[in-house]
Amino acid sequence: MRITRVMSAALACAALAVAGCGGDDKETEGVKKVEPGTSKQAKGNVTWCIGKDTTGTFSKAVKEFSSKGQVKAKLIELPADAGEQRTQLVQRLRAKSSECDVLGMDVIWTAEFAAQSWLQDVSDVVAQRKDDWIPSTLETAKYEDKYWALPYNTNAGFVYYRTDQVQAPPDNWEAVYSEAEKGDGIVYQGARYEGLTVNFLELLYSAGGKVLSDDGKTVEIDSPEAVEVLKFMADGIEQGAAPKAVTTYMEEESQRAFLSGKATFMRNWPYVYSLGKDSKIADDFDITTFPKFGGGEGAGVLGGYDVAISAYSKNPEGAAAFAEFLTSPDWQRTIMTEASLPSTLTKTYDDPAVQKAFPFAVKLRTAVEQAQPRPVTPVYPQVSEAIFKNVHAALQGEMAPDAATKKMKGDIDKALQTF
Amino acid sequence: MEAATVARPRRRGSGLSERRLAAAMVSPSLIVIALVAAYPIGYAIWLSLHEYSVRVPGLSRWAALKNYDTALSSSEFWEALRNTFLFTGISVTIELVLGIAFALAMHQAFKGRAVLRATVLVPWAVLTFGSGLLWRSIFEPDLGFANSMLSALGLPGGDIVWLGTEGYAMAVMIFADVWKTAPFMALLLLAGLQVIPDDVYDAAKVDGASAWQRFMSITLPLLKPAILVALLFRTLDALRVFDLPFALTQGANGTNTLSLHAYQELTANRLVGLGSALSVLTFLIVMVVSFMYIRFVGGNIRGLADER
Repeated sequence: MRITRVMSAALACAALAVAGCGGDDKETEGVKKVEPGTSKQAKGNVTWCIGKDTTGTFSKAVKEFSSKGQVKAKLIELPADAGEQRTQLVQRLRAKSSECDVLGMDVIWTAEFAAQSWLQDVSDVVAQRKDDWIPSTLETAKYEDKYWALPYNTNAGFVYYRTDQVQAPPDNWEAVYSEAEKGDGIVYQGARYEGLTVNFLELLYSAGGKVLSDDGKTVEIDSPEAVEVLKFMADGIEQGAAPKAVTTYMEEESQRAFLSGKATFMRNWPYVYSLGKDSKIADDFDITTFPKFGGGEGAGVLGGYDVAISAYSKNPEGAAAFAEFLTSPDWQRTIMTEASLPSTLTKTYDDPAVQKAFPFAVKLRTAVEQAQPRPVTPVYPQVSEAIFKNVHAALQGEMAPDAATKKMKGDIDKALQTF
Repeated sequence: MEAATVARPRRRGSGLSERRLAAAMVSPSLIVIALVAAYPIGYAIWLSLHEYSVRVPGLSRWAALKNYDTALSSSEFWEALRNTFLFTGISVTIELVLGIAFALAMHQAFKGRAVLRATVLVPWAVLTFGSGLLWRSIFEPDLGFANSMLSALGLPGGDIVWLGTEGYAMAVMIFADVWKTAPFMALLLLAGLQVIPDDVYDAAKVDGASAWQRFMSITLPLLKPAILVALLFRTLDALRVFDLPFALTQGANGTNTLSLHAYQELTANRLVGLGSALSVLTFLIVMVVSFMYIRFVGGNIRGLADER
């Protein structure tokens, strides 16, 4: 029996490894507020924690900022995957670590992080230059009528289409799908993950539907619009407007299918544009902002990153100075021309250098302006899961659109009741 | 040392100091086991009996068995359980059969045997998540290698959306797992083969036993302990499979597993209580399976030892 005991101990360890990371956070202090102007006298060191520096601009920002003033900035690179970045930040914040002063946050984390009192209130900093930002981007930094972050870079999807197959881009989704059915189809992000939530919401917002009420307390997804959109998407796959394969596609697979000439339309982020200009269809595609659906207006869903100041920062003045630098007109132009990250400031898009790097700059600003944030709630991950799981089931034909919509409502209701 | 105090009243003769010495010498490792194994387990159980607020920082409350109730009454748990067992049963069976075949082949004396033994381990050395992503692109519809090859060869299946269809998605997951771990199984079994003395085979040959008879009556019975160890390792590993479904499908189309489900609740949804309850349930299931192994198959080991 000795073997049994040793074995079971080892097993126990292994089986529970996944559970080892829970923490009991006992933190209920008041929210800290950043006063504007204090950043002028800031000194000392600050650390910026954000995802992997794939474009080199994060480290460049740190270097340039440090060379200019009294504050020295340092970069900590988190993993490339947004979910992993969140895990890493949550672990640090739970432990009240002061390691990160400035946090690079995916726009969907604001409500959750703010609700946990992990961020400092930057409403006064925002108020000083509120008109600089594209209004929709500021919505991603807002929770319970206060601003918790400064929008750093934004993002909004486009419809890519083949100019050699489609005369002019259709102005409504129904026409996009019927053209797609005649041509080589439309590809989008239909795998069971966050991306599908975004793809579904773009259609839902365009149709005039909503997920939550404005106060975020009641679920309004069980609308005729939602059923209609879901039926539209499911029929699209069944009737061949979209290949069945889209139910496994994320951004990259869609991009590969479109750029290799296998699809007439694609829904994707702006980053594909420059890749497309190096592909074999370089001269045969263009982009357009989202078309209308039913009686609604074209609408997208906002992506991007905001920069926030950690509640545990030991140098909030320095952190504010760095966050202001990151969102300054100069630096915003740099990220757009050098890293192809869409700026959150309205004026950046009028800059000739930016327009040279982004021939579609004005279209991009329009796409951002008409885009809406994803549901703002501290339980966003659960809400999103409820959406992409049930939408996926409907796309697979496992559930009828109206049943899937009801299930979505039930699941989101449950999520909102989370303790 | 507790063990030492317990031993004191029975002080009699010299056997005792030996026992005390043994207890003293074992205790450091017991303490280490308690720290690295018992503490996290206990902590996970403790977490699973509480609810932690995702809204108010630091707020938690006693939940008794509510998390277990939530876990067990969701259809997702049962689906994940079914998928996990299906995956484990099929993949481990295939790996065992292939593993024995590989091991027998590698056991033969031939030129370049050492090189073969090393190269066969290459799939095992590849990071599972990495190979998962690789398989994902291989089984990508239209552009993936699998579909292109099937179409080019005129075989059926070139239009299958592998990862987007229930059943096929599981098949790909099993395939990827077999590719990776059959060599590992083979190596464990090879070690078992090498301790079987040659003279047993020689004697059998003299008695006129055929190759099949020698395999069934000598190789297989004497290999049983190695098979048990290999099976146990692989089964427990397979029951906790996480990286393959995570990389291949994110748990879609009938590939959600217990670990992935627990991860989803614990990390993505930040439901610490529910996630811990799911981990504890996974742990209990793994424990029960391993006890069954040791009870039923393990009995044979002892039986074998007695016969000899």
